[in-house]
Amino acid sequence: MDYTETLRLAISAIWAHKLRSFLTLLGMIIGMAAFMLVLSLLQGFKVYVDEKIAGIGSNSFSIQRFSFEDFKDTDSINAAQRLKKELTFDELDYIREHAKLIDKIGAKAGNTSRDVRVGSETLKDVGISGVEPVIGEIDNIDIDYGRYFTVTENNNSMRVAFIGSDVAKNLFPNGDVLGNEIYISGIPYRIIGVRVAKGTVFGQPQDNFVQLPIKTFGANFGGLRFSRSPYFAATSKKEVKMDDAVEEVRTLLRIKRKIPPGEKDTFGIVTPDAISGLIGSFTNTFGTVILFVPGIALFVGAIVIMNIMLVAVTERTKEIGIRKSLGARQADILRQFLFEAATLSAIGGATGLLLAFLLGYIVSKIAIPTVIPWWAAVISISVSAGVGILAGLFPAWKAAQLDPIEALRAE
Amino acid sequence: MYDTKSDQMYRFMENEESEGQPRSNQAPRTLISMENIWKTYQMGVEQLHALRDVSFQVEKGEYLAIIGPSGSGKSTLMNLIGCLDSPSKGNYWINGNLVSDMTDDELARIRNKEIGFVFQTFNLLARATALHNVELPLIYAGMRAAERHEKAMQALESVELGDRVGHKPNELSGGQRQRVAIARALVNHPSILLADEPTGALDTKTSYEIMELFEKLHQEGNTIILVTHEHDIAERAHRIITIRDGKIEKDEKTK
Repeated sequence: MDYTETLRLAISAIWAHKLRSFLTLLGMIIGMAAFMLVLSLLQGFKVYVDEKIAGIGSNSFSIQRFSFEDFKDTDSINAAQRLKKELTFDELDYIREHAKLIDKIGAKAGNTSRDVRVGSETLKDVGISGVEPVIGEIDNIDIDYGRYFTVTENNNSMRVAFIGSDVAKNLFPNGDVLGNEIYISGIPYRIIGVRVAKGTVFGQPQDNFVQLPIKTFGANFGGLRFSRSPYFAATSKKEVKMDDAVEEVRTLLRIKRKIPPGEKDTFGIVTPDAISGLIGSFTNTFGTVILFVPGIALFVGAIVIMNIMLVAVTERTKEIGIRKSLGARQADILRQFLFEAATLSAIGGATGLLLAFLLGYIVSKIAIPTVIPWWAAVISISVSAGVGILAGLFPAWKAAQLDPIEALRAE
Repeated sequence: MYDTKSDQMYRFMENEESEGQPRSNQAPRTLISMENIWKTYQMGVEQLHALRDVSFQVEKGEYLAIIGPSGSGKSTLMNLIGCLDSPSKGNYWINGNLVSDMTDDELARIRNKEIGFVFQTFNLLARATALHNVELPLIYAGMRAAERHEKAMQALESVELGDRVGHKPNELSGGQRQRVAIARALVNHPSILLADEPTGALDTKTSYEIMELFEKLHQEGNTIILVTHEHDIAERAHRIITIRDGKIEKDEKTK
């Protein structure tokens, strides 16, 4: 008996009991859907982080007052606040002057949330930050139209602004943006450029911001202190390893701050590796725990399938007897029921996958991105088919072992 | 009596070979050869002999009826002839194959190639069409779909059901169902058509139609073995073996 015939037989047997097959598979479907959904969330998160890092550039890093480890718990936050000092432009100049492995380095400050007004239109809670003009290159900022800041504009604290596409759209619905003025805290700024739209990520709009030259920002928002203290973004030269550039910056800053050997840094350096490492360890722990639950659902689903296959074998004893009397070998009967269990289970897996796709699509529309990697889809179908084979093994073996005379006598 | 000479010869050989199981190295030339067949069931400590030393032979093209009351052992004999079961002792040859020593899978192959079953209750698959039911033996023979369809169609046409191929068993009358079963039994060109009370579930008129079909099939050269307890059905055969208490009581040619 060939495989296509066996498969056709399996599908017709499943189809003959549509409701029962569906109820049997419900556990499987829910288990698989939950499994894939969780996986797709974790995967989506990872892809998002990777994209973010790629967007920043894998050879860029930042020097900040605090490092990631400082936010472990309240004790370390308190300790960091005592120990760590704000970065200064002196220090930036020092690094700029002495670093050999750094391609570009620039300062940023902010984010401060303010209302932005044009005429009678007011846009609430727009993120305002200050940047040095070189940040445009370091952050790979894509300009939709207009341009980024010039050094002259920064040095002279000129009132110019580079804005996100949401700000442009909301305040200038007719599209005429460049050269117009926006008002922040009563002070007008002339718009010189608009960034390409990035949409929302994790429910956070990415295009609701205004950037100013950092000196303008410092002058008009109460000085570059406290939450507005500057931090630095840097890229390493192409021909050097980023780790070497990071070490160089750390050494320079320690010299500048006169930190004795053996004592901890009084600043933090954040690298893409540190970010993805942190995210990775988080998703791994979280993933292992949370995938365990749908795993149990799959296991229960398998038991239900085994149960229904046992019922099917009992119900179809007569059919098995007829088939045997017509020349079906044990292997034919075994294969028939194994195929049926595997097909049933694979249908459950595929339905679960489909459900996960739909749910994932909805979730990514309203909250956070989800990605179902193609390998996960392949694995889920094969795993569910494999689970079906395991679950069908015993019932199929029972069917194959039936004595043809006894089986024919059954009603 | 039928062929008592060879019967005696085999008995002689059995005595020669001390412990049961006589070994004939050469396959008999007859289509079916049962040599000193025993079938014993263990019922607790007691042994129940369903068949005791049964020997007979069937030539190609014969029309044979096996008759006997219930409990006589005729069902056991039919199961053995049909290779659904193996004897406890003795040799059974069918078309040159020694089937008494075969494994389950080898028996399945013999059932597929050499035997065409017709059952009292038809034993058609309820969910399958007439065509698919007739195709089943060919599926297990490993035949390709196109060839299978053609052969099954021919078999259904030969029992005058060419216009009912797409019908399921519950859409057919009893007589039509039995004709589907006969088409299924014949489709693989078996050595024997083995019918177990083929008219038991049919009314008189339909019974006659089915028996006429058997006669026609016999005239076309098919070997038919009919197992029944009804004398008027058995009398249509050309030879009747009467079985009682697990033994052949009578073996006579009637036509």
